[in-house]
Amino acid sequence: MDSKTIQAMRLWTLAQPVVSAFVISVVRDFSARDDVLQEVAVAVIESFDSYDPQRPFVAWAMGIAQNKVRQYLRRIQRDRLVFDDDVLVHLAAAFEEESAEQSQSLAFLRSCLEQLEGRSRKLCELRYGSDLKPAAMAESLGMTANTVAKALQRIRDQLRACIERKVAVEMRMP
Amino acid sequence: MTRGPSELVSRYFDDLLTADEHRALQDWLRSSSDHAREFARLALLHDRLRGEQLANSLIHPPLPNATQAAPAVPRRTRRPFIISATLVMALAALLMVSLEIGRTPAAAATELKRLIAAQETDLDRTYRIAVEEVAMPRRHHRPDAEANRPPKPPLDGAILYVRKGNQFVLIRPMTDGRQFVTGSNGRTSWAVRPDGPVRVSADLTRFNRDLPGHEHDFPLIQIERGLAHLRDAYDIHLLPMETPDDTAADDLPTRLLVAVKKRGHRGPQRVEITYAVRTGQIRQLRFIEMPYGPEHLTVRLTQEEERPLGSLFFDHQSHHESDRIVEEE
Repeated sequence: MDSKTIQAMRLWTLAQPVVSAFVISVVRDFSARDDVLQEVAVAVIESFDSYDPQRPFVAWAMGIAQNKVRQYLRRIQRDRLVFDDDVLVHLAAAFEEESAEQSQSLAFLRSCLEQLEGRSRKLCELRYGSDLKPAAMAESLGMTANTVAKALQRIRDQLRACIERKVAVEMRMP
Repeated sequence: MTRGPSELVSRYFDDLLTADEHRALQDWLRSSSDHAREFARLALLHDRLRGEQLANSLIHPPLPNATQAAPAVPRRTRRPFIISATLVMALAALLMVSLEIGRTPAAAATELKRLIAAQETDLDRTYRIAVEEVAMPRRHHRPDAEANRPPKPPLDGAILYVRKGNQFVLIRPMTDGRQFVTGSNGRTSWAVRPDGPVRVSADLTRFNRDLPGHEHDFPLIQIERGLAHLRDAYDIHLLPMETPDDTAADDLPTRLLVAVKKRGHRGPQRVEITYAVRTGQIRQLRFIEMPYGPEHLTVRLTQEEERPLGSLFFDHQSHHESDRIVEEE
């Protein structure tokens, strides 16, 4: 493997979390996210020669990701609610801005997840470990889809608050 | 029923929005960059949650009888789930194989554990040190006392010998061709300057300041301790496996593990570890922006040898003439 490819791999490894989040925010389905992300990764490595090192790598990779997401949306050609193109561009810029800070803060997610108990933990496992949507989760848990959706929102809010608390504590450290 | 923006975003990720709600969400996103950033923050959490849960299931796979305790999923729900889960795993495996990137934190953590275990050996190690870059942080104001200190002998080109039990010998070449040697045999630490008396101290930390990393939980004489520190204070990524072009017996495939420091922790900004895939033996460590006195260094440690160096090698007497004056501090 030549040094340029290794450099591309290195940069991609660091950019991948934010690109992945951008892709999931548009395609919403985790298995589709994996598909699209794989296409982005291959395109990034293959077209690395055209990358200008003076530009931020994340911005360049996000450009590729936008194209791949558009191709995916055209490909699925189904009547599904998707973002308009101007919103897509707007979001890509927002992800670039948030990437560095959020990537670091999210390092606390694991310890916050460990604090979840009982039903919250179970809901999280079903939603994210088993990739079930609220309707399927509701069926297995004997709840309504609406109740599951509200519970998931509450869990995500709790996790965000936990992360923010940990970041605040860390900021006060010498 | 009108839903607030945070509920709209949450329901969007769970695929529960109606067409009207989706339109309302788009309008909200368009109306302010702050809204788009808030959405991005939630999406990053949503995406990371998936990664953490998958990693967790790889580390703690459910026990065979655990399925009995889990709530029953109806057959018509379970089947598509199994198919999609298999697809996800297959895609993940495909991605790993095609790009050879171990991108899950679990895979990287497991590999790191293996590297730490591989460090457990009674053999002595020899490293060559290369300083690639020296930078002075912009905000650093050099105090007078520091400015008056004589410059440290150069680290570039130095040889470091390490033995279990905090024993080490660091040989730094001076510009005039002579050597400045510091070390410790685990009972005393010592410094053999090119001229003047040999200094010996019962304080084992007395001369280890010559090595970068000792004050930031990554002592180069205790690599395994530094590796353990990476687990908590760094984000770990695995890069592709590399197969050497020639087929020499020693050229086993290697892999690069990259650790990026998390905010709020001390130490080098980034650590790159090249190791033999089969044995987990570290070939090279590269520290980027490693604090060293007032400077930040990019330092490369290449392992040259792994063999016993003799029982007296880490005593100061092995590194100077017998007629040198020895001063105990």
